Amino acid sequence: MKKFPKWIKREMPIEAINEMNQLLKEYNLHTVCQSARCPNIGECFKNKEATFMILGNICTRNCSFCSVKQGVVSELDLCEPEQIAKAVEKLGLKYVVITSVTRDDLPDGGAGHFVATIKTLRHYNPETKIEVLTPDFNNNINAIYKIILAKPNVFAHNIETVAHLHNKVRPQADYKKSLSFLKYISANSDILTKSSIMLGLGEKENEVFKVIEDLRQVNCNILTIGQYLKPSANCLDVQEFIKPEKFKYYADYANSLGFESVVSAPLVRSSYKAKQSYEEAMLENGCKVT
Amino acid sequence: MDVKLPEIGEDVKEATISFWHVEKGEKIEKDSDLVEMVTDKATFNVPAPISGILSEIMFEEGQVAKVGEAIAVIQEK
Repeated sequence: MKKFPKWIKREMPIEAINEMNQLLKEYNLHTVCQSARCPNIGECFKNKEATFMILGNICTRNCSFCSVKQGVVSELDLCEPEQIAKAVEKLGLKYVVITSVTRDDLPDGGAGHFVATIKTLRHYNPETKIEVLTPDFNNNINAIYKIILAKPNVFAHNIETVAHLHNKVRPQADYKKSLSFLKYISANSDILTKSSIMLGLGEKENEVFKVIEDLRQVNCNILTIGQYLKPSANCLDVQEFIKPEKFKYYADYANSLGFESVVSAPLVRSSYKAKQSYEEAMLENGCKVT
Repeated sequence: MDVKLPEIGEDVKEATISFWHVEKGEKIEKDSDLVEMVTDKATFNVPAPISGILSEIMFEEGQVAKVGEAIAVIQEK
């Protein structure tokens, strides 16, 4: 039996998990909560929250930290935007996070499907705030701009790890390209940007500082930092369980650089408490949160 | 009521019973700690889904339960 530090512990409320699973099956939807085997699934499902994963559940990339299946992708489900919108309506969500697998096989990487999802969500749920967490679209400017025009409330793209670990952790992605991606959004819109880092993959403290600085340099507004947890046997091993106080230490540094919201703790994931992060960033910007 | 291990992740097929907070025959209140389980990714605390008497324990500490299997029975009050 595996042994985890005492802080890597979560609730498993059986009824709440079953109820949400039932709803997701009813609407034929995927979540990153299930696909990435997120440890926060019980807490989020109990609060009737989920991070919806569009463009199917098969990824065209091969990142070694992730348990989302890789292989032959399926055809786009054109009903998916409407199904998500209806599920969000049924759950009464005031804030929703939409993410996706990477679809390098599609000419726009699936950006059009994100746009369709945003528009359909707004049609059914005009009051709901929308956060998108997208892949890099191979830095296709047209794809990124398409999403900017759809005006999500938060546009997130995860850099995931420090520069020198990219070849090992995200072999088909690029540290500098991810920074350019975020920079492009900031330079061409007033949409809040967000990124996330995993710790415990073998990075050094000065490298963590550097990625925090680099993200701030491209005007990233919201930062989340969490512990990498190995999701399946063929993924990278955890090199170190970082103590909660170290997460606080990095959060203090990020806050000193001017991020508008920083969430940093062992079990923080990119979309964890996303609504609170958004509201905190809006208030920091002097905007009223409705 | 059968307490079944729920689907807590795609292709997560099992979890190991770490320890029972309650012994067979004891009373348990809804939402109080029932059992601790460990998956490949984290430790989970399972709260009791209903109040009642823990009438059966199907898996001892250290044993592995499959998703969908009943791990215990709580006799409703």
